[in-house]
Amino acid sequence: MMVSLTRLSRRGFLVRIGQYAGLFALCLTLAVSCRGEGGSQPAADLGTGDRVSMGTTLSAGSLDPADAYETFPGILLYNLGDRLYTYTPGTTDLVPQLATELPTISEDGITYTIPLRDDVTLHDGTPFTAEVMAFSMQRFIENGGRPADLLSSKVAEVSAASPTELVIKLKAPVASFTSLLTFSGITPVSPEAYEIGAGNFKPSVFIGSGPYKLSEYSSSVIRLDANENYWGEQPANDGIDIQIFTSAANLYNSFVSGGLDVAYQTLDPDQISKLETDAPGNNWTVIEAGATVVDYLSLNQKIAPFDNLDARKAVAAMVDRPLIVERAFKDQADPSYSLIPTSFSDVSEPVFEEAYGDGNYDEAKKYLTAAGFSESNPMAFEVWYPSSSTPRSIAAQTIKQSIEQNLPGLVNVTVNTAESATLFGNIADGVYPSVMLNWYADYFDPENFVQPFLSCENGSEATLCEAGESQSSGSFYYSDKANQLVAEQNAESDPDKRNAIFKQLQELMAADVPYIPLWQVKDYVFTTSAVSAVDIQPNQQLLLWKIEKAS
Amino acid sequence: MSRASSLRLYITSRILLAPIMVWLATTIVFLLIQAAPGDVVDVKLGPNAPAALKESMRIQMGLDQPMYIQYFRYINQLLHFDLGSSTFTQGQPITQVIGEFFPATVELTVCGMMIAALVGLTVGSLAASRPNTPIDTGSRLFGIVTYALPMYWFGMILQLVFAVKLGWFPQGTRFPIDQLAPTGPTGLYVLDSLLHLNLAQFFTSVYYLALPSLTLGLLISGVFERIVRVNLRQTLKSDYVEAARARGISEFRILTAHALKNAMIPVITILGLTFAAMLGGAVLTEVTFDWPGLGNRLYIAISQRDADMVQGLMVFFATIVVVVSILIDVLNAYVDPRIRY
Repeated sequence: MMVSLTRLSRRGFLVRIGQYAGLFALCLTLAVSCRGEGGSQPAADLGTGDRVSMGTTLSAGSLDPADAYETFPGILLYNLGDRLYTYTPGTTDLVPQLATELPTISEDGITYTIPLRDDVTLHDGTPFTAEVMAFSMQRFIENGGRPADLLSSKVAEVSAASPTELVIKLKAPVASFTSLLTFSGITPVSPEAYEIGAGNFKPSVFIGSGPYKLSEYSSSVIRLDANENYWGEQPANDGIDIQIFTSAANLYNSFVSGGLDVAYQTLDPDQISKLETDAPGNNWTVIEAGATVVDYLSLNQKIAPFDNLDARKAVAAMVDRPLIVERAFKDQADPSYSLIPTSFSDVSEPVFEEAYGDGNYDEAKKYLTAAGFSESNPMAFEVWYPSSSTPRSIAAQTIKQSIEQNLPGLVNVTVNTAESATLFGNIADGVYPSVMLNWYADYFDPENFVQPFLSCENGSEATLCEAGESQSSGSFYYSDKANQLVAEQNAESDPDKRNAIFKQLQELMAADVPYIPLWQVKDYVFTTSAVSAVDIQPNQQLLLWKIEKAS
Repeated sequence: MSRASSLRLYITSRILLAPIMVWLATTIVFLLIQAAPGDVVDVKLGPNAPAALKESMRIQMGLDQPMYIQYFRYINQLLHFDLGSSTFTQGQPITQVIGEFFPATVELTVCGMMIAALVGLTVGSLAASRPNTPIDTGSRLFGIVTYALPMYWFGMILQLVFAVKLGWFPQGTRFPIDQLAPTGPTGLYVLDSLLHLNLAQFFTSVYYLALPSLTLGLLISGVFERIVRVNLRQTLKSDYVEAARARGISEFRILTAHALKNAMIPVITILGLTFAAMLGGAVLTEVTFDWPGLGNRLYIAISQRDADMVQGLMVFFATIVVVVSILIDVLNAYVDPRIRY
């Protein structure tokens, strides 16, 4: 009797379990089947028309123009605001935007007089005037945000001569100053919404003059709405909805599963390769552009072995860039032989290729011998890189393997990594013999790839750099000639003569080897067939207002 | 002393201990943040800011003061229920961040716990009622595997299979980026959409919630399954269960009405603590699925070196764990007369 009861109850128990499981499955099925299908049956559309969904892993910590200094906030500000000058899309031709003409520069190169438009209104209805622009630039300087030095080191005074005329006085001539005025943060903001005061920032709002208004800002979602009262060309879409992902894998998966119209930075090389392969079958468009981001090795001249010029030259000869590019980037980068990127085709010279080549181990041996290294006294080559970068990790390991394989017993390569904040904090203190770093330009001018590396305000050729740009870059390079050439190019208004100075500076870099250029990454954007007119500009900007969405 | 008085005394003592536990946790968090490398002023102004500006900011933030003064100032701030503000986003109050992100964490945690409880209790009960059968072996295997599976990997695989390959579920996030998310008093999308009787939003919310909560629930269910199985099995051997069987009560009724209740006490403890820990940020699940909860926000704050945000969130998490563990202690003491205090 007991046995039969137990059997019966077991059956009943299983039936109950089955009921629970069935109910659960039913709920799940309902949820899956009753959901809004993609965007066709949305729970509630954000707008009536064509909004573009975009995914990225880049973070936007602050959208305050006086403080934003990373790549992604720069792109957002470029689309939310206007600048005095900009580039004609697809070119590097400087054209007025809020200005009506290129600046009138005084003979001494110090005073810039800029005529302004009178038909521009900011997002809050404030009319754009020279006072507004002067306020915005003053705020950029005085609030002391991360990019403040771009102007504070160069500008002596900003004032409004009239509502439509801005006057900027520089501390010294700066040939690239008009290019600098294209920097995304040098944009008018409303004096009603912003204040001048050190450290006074508004990271999550933007009240400017551009084609979009900021409608939502958080660490995971950013929404831009088309500015219906924009004075210029209206955006081709109704708005941009940006999803910020915490990992490249999530960005990749979201894009391939149809959750996004545009996937932009940063995907791993493997994911990029897969998307490129799968693009034709899925009607995806792959937009590839050469970037102006330069990766390089900084050699600290204050400590051994790189206090010895021959040791630095030996490393320059040993490095095999094509091998690094192949292994670490699956050819999604280009070998770099100058710190001035190849996009400056009339200036960039492959000086390191000409002087040292790639994987030139015979030449490296000669330099090592000259530096006093031998198999009984091998050179200790210590390479550091920020731990957050996987490609740099592979690159560092590739350098180690290729050198130790080809120069056995002559060089002992040690690869070390440190958490980014710690590493960047230690660079200027001269802790590391060599560090792999990269450089994002603030504005599109060759000066921005030279001055931050070669100039140094305080120091001497004996003591090396004690305070200045090359100290921050970790090389402690000091050269009177380099300082003089940097100053000369700043004062030179003739483009050809200025280019000649840049060539001299590159040759100087190849001769003194404070840095070894390694590679230039390529920039990728992936889009579905739902959007068109997506393009990366030569200055690395993404013009969101150009993107068209198929209805 | 009567049981009621004893229970009152116990509850009072536990509540009085709570601030001490929160203070200890707060102190540890403060010291850890102080010991971490990097400079808050560098995060705020950038490493290349002029030294004079950095110095004035340091004075303004009180960072020029000795550590013990900074500590007392921080404790004083906490006593006024002020968790501080974000360094990286230049002043966003942390309480505002918690208000924005905590509902997502609650929603995921509650759903994950429901799934974990359903699966864990069912599989554990099945195994306990059928000892040494293939079901028992299978449930043990299930418990070990789900316990051992790394969340990050398992979540990625589920996304790859069910979201990318099969397309049954969406990939990450909480709501489609091109649609307006439900708004409402709770911040819980499922609940708010129901409150507004918006079924489209409700189903979309559940659709987006399904895969992350299934992943979380399945991985936690292993722990519950093992505890339920062991305790239930022990209970099923007890004299009163034998007596119930002798009276002819069905095995299902014995299991559900008698044995399961008694076997639940340790399960409640584990359930509560797991719930508290997950409310304190199911970091890996949220990061894996890009779920915009507090765990994800903590991960972002860490990667941005936003020390104030990390500190504020950790204090909030610690408070949750302390409060929930006290509630569990009280609940256990209330339901189990054998517990003495």
